[in-house]
Amino acid sequence: MTATGLHRQVPGSFLRGETAAVLALAGLRLTRLYLISRRIPVALALLAGIGALLWAALHWQWNIAGGPAAAHFFPLTIETGAAAVISVTTHGPFGEPERAAGRWLPWLRLGAALALTAIAFGALAAGATAGTLPGGTLALLRDLGGMTGVGLLSAVFIGGAFGWAGPMAFLLITEGALAHRSTTPWAWPTRLPHDRGGAICACLVVAAGLVLITVRGPREPGRDAGEAS
Amino acid sequence: MASAEVGHRAARTFGAAPQGTARLLRVNLRRNSMPWILLLIAALFWFDSYRPSIATSPLYGMRTFWNLGQGHTIIDFGPFVAGVAAWMGSREGRRGLGDLVTTTARPRWAAQLATWAATTIWAVAAYLVFVCVMFAAYARQGVGGSPPWWWVAVGATAVAAFSAAGFALGAYWPSRFAAAVAAFGGFVAMALSSRTGFSHTSGWALILPTNSNGSFDGSVQADSGIFYPWLPDLPIVRIMFLAGIAVAALGLTGLPARAGGPWLRRAAVAVTLAGVALAGTGIELATTAKVAANGIVIPALHDAANDAPLAYRPVCGHAAGVPLCLNPAYARWMPNLTTALAPVLLEVRGLAGAPVRATQVPASYPSGNGGPPQVITLGGQPPVLRLSLGLVNLPGPCGFCSGPVVSKAFANQVRLMFAHAFAGAGSGRGTQAQQAVQAAMLRVAGLPFAAQPRLIANTEDFLASGPRPQPAPSSANGPVYAAAARLAGLSAAARHAWLASHLAALRAGRLALKDLP
Repeated sequence: MTATGLHRQVPGSFLRGETAAVLALAGLRLTRLYLISRRIPVALALLAGIGALLWAALHWQWNIAGGPAAAHFFPLTIETGAAAVISVTTHGPFGEPERAAGRWLPWLRLGAALALTAIAFGALAAGATAGTLPGGTLALLRDLGGMTGVGLLSAVFIGGAFGWAGPMAFLLITEGALAHRSTTPWAWPTRLPHDRGGAICACLVVAAGLVLITVRGPREPGRDAGEAS
Repeated sequence: MASAEVGHRAARTFGAAPQGTARLLRVNLRRNSMPWILLLIAALFWFDSYRPSIATSPLYGMRTFWNLGQGHTIIDFGPFVAGVAAWMGSREGRRGLGDLVTTTARPRWAAQLATWAATTIWAVAAYLVFVCVMFAAYARQGVGGSPPWWWVAVGATAVAAFSAAGFALGAYWPSRFAAAVAAFGGFVAMALSSRTGFSHTSGWALILPTNSNGSFDGSVQADSGIFYPWLPDLPIVRIMFLAGIAVAALGLTGLPARAGGPWLRRAAVAVTLAGVALAGTGIELATTAKVAANGIVIPALHDAANDAPLAYRPVCGHAAGVPLCLNPAYARWMPNLTTALAPVLLEVRGLAGAPVRATQVPASYPSGNGGPPQVITLGGQPPVLRLSLGLVNLPGPCGFCSGPVVSKAFANQVRLMFAHAFAGAGSGRGTQAQQAVQAAMLRVAGLPFAAQPRLIANTEDFLASGPRPQPAPSSANGPVYAAAARLAGLSAAARHAWLASHLAALRAGRLALKDLP
């Protein structure tokens, strides 16, 4: 038995490689667990369904006779549905222990919200290929982004489980604004796709939503909410 | 001794069941998420249902067209109620308490129904309170007519149906997404209802809760709740349909094996089928609906007592000495009408065919052919001017018009319609001589010839019914306006004398333009 030919490993190199792999695995595991705990797979299925619904609405021309409020009602409702799904995914079932132990939690929340918004946009843009979406893709991006911001804000203030209520309420406000020809930029779907005021307001809302959901997270469930599966 | 004990226990058991149910309901009322969402719904109700309505004429038919006729109170409540009901329905499943609850003495279905009942009590009670507060605000604003209470009942039933549908979804799918999906589904359902309802004025689509197309006062400018009662036929059918949906959805929650014993599940099957049958009956009845003068009539449900006109004490005034009487619901527009009618009544005062009095008559639901009937007609012996004011937009706020109706524009419209009726033009544009007399009367009343073609175009729906072979004249030129200028240029006495001697022939259509002075 001889040690001839054996090369001494550089001290620490094995450890560094192993640590990096372990860390990467741990990161992946953490991400996977986070996504599962937020029911992201179900959310992805729902977003795909919402995209299909938009496709059906445009393909079979589910138009409502009437003014701009009627013309926008189906597309806006469908975009609202996507924003509602994204906001509900922010709900966490673990509460205090997760917050105490998870220093990556804010980044996971931010990443999940951004990724889901992008996926929702992709699903809706794919659905929009079946016909003519009022305002086109640019308006879709602005409206979906803004509504997601509203959803994230409502998750921050009333809880992720009821985060859907914010976009739904905003839908009614927008419909009222469209019906009464109001053009406030805060009801951005009433503005033209290239309108700067509407885009700025939508960006402000989505930025506020992302910042708050990242830093503060959703409001913790009340006494009645219980575990959310 | 033994029998006495048995009797005593039976009595306690008999009394204990309702007490237990009441306690269960009380607990569910206390531990319910619905009150929290009601704050949001209250804000939306104010924004979406109340606020737009006060921009319409202060008549119940107009005020409630947007919020009850087009179903905005249901849109404001329904999806949110469905979402919260789904959250409540999924409570046991989300918390993993299904097995635990199944082992309790009370069947799981009964406990679920208690949860649904508590959720629905909150929602329906809030709906009724909000609507009553809205009506109280209308009453303070002096809104004329009577509220459409049957349509309020439709809305309350719709809220219960949304609650039941959402609850069933939550019970079957205990997911965090159930609430969002239920609310989203509620919006999509209302959108589909509007899509079909806005384009269908008859048939099964009348069952849809947002369909007001030709079936609600505000959409047809009729006088429901003012001259005749709001007919309950269509609301009853919609209540049947929505209640059927609610019952069927609740029955579905009793079908799974964990819901209870075999008898209970058989009862759930029966309840589900009964709900489906009720909803189907409602749809079938809706297909038999007919438009009558006072609303939608469904023969199988119609009560002839509802056709009796409402009694009222008219409010009277005078226009150029001619008595004018209106329904008290329209009393606020008396000054506008007397001002509008005075100049044209002065022109014809003393003529044999001039009206001796003017009175308001009900505006009726359209028969569906030929457009709306004339707003102003003249007939009878002695001649009486009849005004169907429900058909026109009255001065003041006008809802979804381009702007409020100004008094001057209203006065010009009334004068035009009076001149049209006085000249005997009937339901068409009239002969050229009649058109010339009409133009001359308007000119003497202060409306220049140049402004008349536009006024006629804007008012034509109420002047001529049926197909129109030619468009209305776009400018005040041609032989008609030349003859009108000659007539208007006469002195008042000469014009009066010419009308006195030629009015009968003019109305009979026997005069040509050359016969005018």
